[in-house]
Amino acid sequence: MGQQAINGIFLGSIYALFAVGYTLVFGVLDILNLAHQAVFMLCAFTALAFVSGLRLHIALALPLAAIVGGLLGILLERLAFRPLRGRADSNISGLISSLAAATIFESFALQMWGPDVSRFPFGTFPDKPIHLGAATVSALQLTIVAIAIALMALLTGLLSVTPLGRQIRAVAESPRAARILGVDVDRVIAWSFFISSALGGAAGVLFGLAFNSVSPDIGRSIELKGLAVIILGGMGSVAGAVVAGFVLGIIEVFTVAQIGSSYRDAVSFGVLFLILLVRPRGLLGHSATREA
Amino acid sequence: MRVGRWGFLFAVAVSIAACKGGGGAADAGTPSTGGKTLKIGAALSLTGAAAVYGNTQKNGIQAATDAVNSSNTMGGVRIDVVVDDDASSKEQGINVFQKFINQDKVSVIIGPTLSTTATAADPLAQQAKVPVLAISNTAPTGITDIGDYIFRDSLTEAQVIPGAVKKAHQKLGFKTAAVLYGNDDVFTKAGYDVMKKALDSEGVQIVETQTFAKPDRDFNAQLTAIKGKNPGILVVSALADNAAAIVVQARQLGYTGPILGGNGFNSPAFIKNAGPAAEGVLVGTSWNSASNDQANAAFKEAMQKRGATADQFSAQAYSGVLILAEAVRKAGSKTGRDDVKAALAQVKDLDTPLGKFSFSDKRDAQHEPSVQQVKDGKFQILQ
Amino acid sequence: MLDWFLTYQSLFAFIGINGLLALSVYCTLSCGQLSLANAGFMAIGAYAAALLTLRAHAAFPLALLVATVVPAIVAVPLGLPVLRLRGVFLAIATIGFGEVVRLAFVNWDYTNGALGLVAIPQKTSLWMVWIALALALYVLGRLRGSRIGYALEAIRQDEPASRAIGIASTHYKVAMFAFGAALAGLAGALEAHFTFMVAPSGYGFGRVVDMLVYAVVGGDAIFYGPVLGAAFLTALPEALRGAGQAVGLAPGPLRLFVNGAILLAVILFLPNGLVSLPEAIRRWRMRRMPRAPLG
Repeated sequence: MGQQAINGIFLGSIYALFAVGYTLVFGVLDILNLAHQAVFMLCAFTALAFVSGLRLHIALALPLAAIVGGLLGILLERLAFRPLRGRADSNISGLISSLAAATIFESFALQMWGPDVSRFPFGTFPDKPIHLGAATVSALQLTIVAIAIALMALLTGLLSVTPLGRQIRAVAESPRAARILGVDVDRVIAWSFFISSALGGAAGVLFGLAFNSVSPDIGRSIELKGLAVIILGGMGSVAGAVVAGFVLGIIEVFTVAQIGSSYRDAVSFGVLFLILLVRPRGLLGHSATREA
Repeated sequence: MRVGRWGFLFAVAVSIAACKGGGGAADAGTPSTGGKTLKIGAALSLTGAAAVYGNTQKNGIQAATDAVNSSNTMGGVRIDVVVDDDASSKEQGINVFQKFINQDKVSVIIGPTLSTTATAADPLAQQAKVPVLAISNTAPTGITDIGDYIFRDSLTEAQVIPGAVKKAHQKLGFKTAAVLYGNDDVFTKAGYDVMKKALDSEGVQIVETQTFAKPDRDFNAQLTAIKGKNPGILVVSALADNAAAIVVQARQLGYTGPILGGNGFNSPAFIKNAGPAAEGVLVGTSWNSASNDQANAAFKEAMQKRGATADQFSAQAYSGVLILAEAVRKAGSKTGRDDVKAALAQVKDLDTPLGKFSFSDKRDAQHEPSVQQVKDGKFQILQ
Repeated sequence: MLDWFLTYQSLFAFIGINGLLALSVYCTLSCGQLSLANAGFMAIGAYAAALLTLRAHAAFPLALLVATVVPAIVAVPLGLPVLRLRGVFLAIATIGFGEVVRLAFVNWDYTNGALGLVAIPQKTSLWMVWIALALALYVLGRLRGSRIGYALEAIRQDEPASRAIGIASTHYKVAMFAFGAALAGLAGALEAHFTFMVAPSGYGFGRVVDMLVYAVVGGDAIFYGPVLGAAFLTALPEALRGAGQAVGLAPGPLRLFVNGAILLAVILFLPNGLVSLPEAIRRWRMRRMPRAPLG
């Protein structure tokens, strides 16, 4: 029982970290960035390349890979989102554009690393099991949860206290008003993408470490879970994504333990559906419409 | 904005051009009614979930082709192999089969890698009366059942697993077991059915059954539930990628009991990805790697020369080509589709890396299986 | 010539089936709704038809009829609440529906769960697919210029305004949602009886994304655009097979890259799809012509 709770928190921390970036971009641009999962996957591979190819220590590879992720986010914004900004149907075309970018990123990963599952070399992270009563948790798992929580705390701090954070919140509220007030909207959007993708990339590296699996398809499965998380938490709400991430992780683990693993995903989507029908703004979200 | 009739005509023109573009590379190919070449179409998963198996199969096939062609025992017939990727998907598999049958006009098809693909694509070959030799389809039913043109040289899970379970039970004497299997693949699911039956007939009580799907990477929840029931052995039916992650996570969670895997574990990729966690894992196998038979020695040497891995999948692929060559010999150096089909059924006690090989009357493989255990990072045959 | 046709017979069939699927997504796009539920409807139609022919030995036309009608019936009670959601929320809800359908089939023992149904008799022939496609095109084409067509366009442009002038937008949206479901179900049944098997893995999120891409790349402003997109993108992997090998690129990544690149190019530069290419070229040419002097 306790072990399953630990499994749930562990899984949830990765879901939450992934979803936080997802929801940030939605909050700011009102666009669902379906390429987020591709950045997640590419950063996992990047960190792998740093560790096995360049022999960097994982403590260095993780932040470097996250920065690469952030840069990819900026590239993505420039190429796939900015040209569409004026258009009337920018939500749909943005979604499709991000889908195209995701496909392109995935093709790069396939060509460079092949379809097989790769893993971090043994010894990348010390694998000491720690016993908490009847449950076992590895030092790796504890570290991952700690890093995820730290990053999410950093983000929350950034958004509430720093000038950039305030500008991001202003643009999320109303880009036009923000521009009138002198905010450089383009720069803020670029920063939002950098932060979002860096966090998504970090989530990817942690995922790869957590489950010893890095392959071009790891983004696919988490992308749909990510959707469930941001809907449950409330689109655009970072705090909501954090809470919902942990909640979903725990729900999934207990579904597997008590009902059966076949129902795990069904429960996640059932929750998604229910929320959309009953309370579309999720746990902590604002109302669905948004000012121009 | 106006699209108008030009848009429509353009639409039609582009569709026709796109279709024709694909056909441009077609050439007549060798007719299927004989000649001095045996044209084999190899439908393999070079990309996708089964890529680790497909690529080693390709090596096995090419090694055997070289060996046979240089052996001068074929009455002047040369073997020519066309390899195409089925991307581990049934749609691609169908396309590849169509191409082999109608465009390349092969005499016989080898493959496809996955049982799931075979259930979709083999019926096409059966309908078109083109023989198929499966080299890695191990689902007990639904393969050779498709029709009399479908053969296989891969032992089914039903032929390998019971022996492995029995031997493990003899050596380790466990009373309870937990089973974990992939419920979204024909092969892993069929493997589970066989494992369950084998455990039941050994009098072992199954205390926990859990499932997963191919894209899954996190097995902690299932493994925790399993560990909680304290089974005497963990039996797993999974493909190589999942297999490695499962074993690693099981050990990480503190499960120290024995682990027995199905055919999906039979790849060096499993050992590579599972690392130290793979030690001691038991796997039933069709290929006795320790055998000193001449055919096996020749196979291992050929693979080493190519810098390729000798594993069960390449052994079955290599043997597949040997079997086809033997069929041509038995047919009197005739290479037509029906000649090959009729002659395949007559292959008996052929020396292959898999041992002495014959087909059963259901066109399934017949030879002795073995059990192996991972020791020091390598598969060792368990005596 | 005949050999070439035989080899590519399945390709033509898939083009037709994908054309139907693209049209099914177009149905909802034409009134401005991004619905991604059609892989789920396709699964329902495919399984319904396969169960009828396999277990009840029903006649194929009956199976096709059921495959068309049942998804439409399911679509109505689903559509009423779901189509109230705006934009991206509708997309996500429909993605969720598709996944729930897929997972339901994965867990249903009667249909062999994840393994699906095999040995389905091959009853679909090429002409059936193309007749179905032609019919669908005819129906959707007739909508253009009709009252219904104008209503759909109005809803697409500005739904609140359309309601203000008295268009019952909910009715139209649900109707198109159901019609799209019917087309997807029909396509599913045709495909199942062509490829001998149905399995839940064929009806996941990736499938509906493909359908959307066909419609968008072809052009979702006009009824025949999606079919063009489907034809182009279905034939492309075959055409590229030789080219990729020549350059030394693996076919899998190359196919993905080209799909992604084409989609990106279309959405950025040719938002009305490939059907608008001649018009776009003409406009580009005119811009480069020297202007006549004034006076």
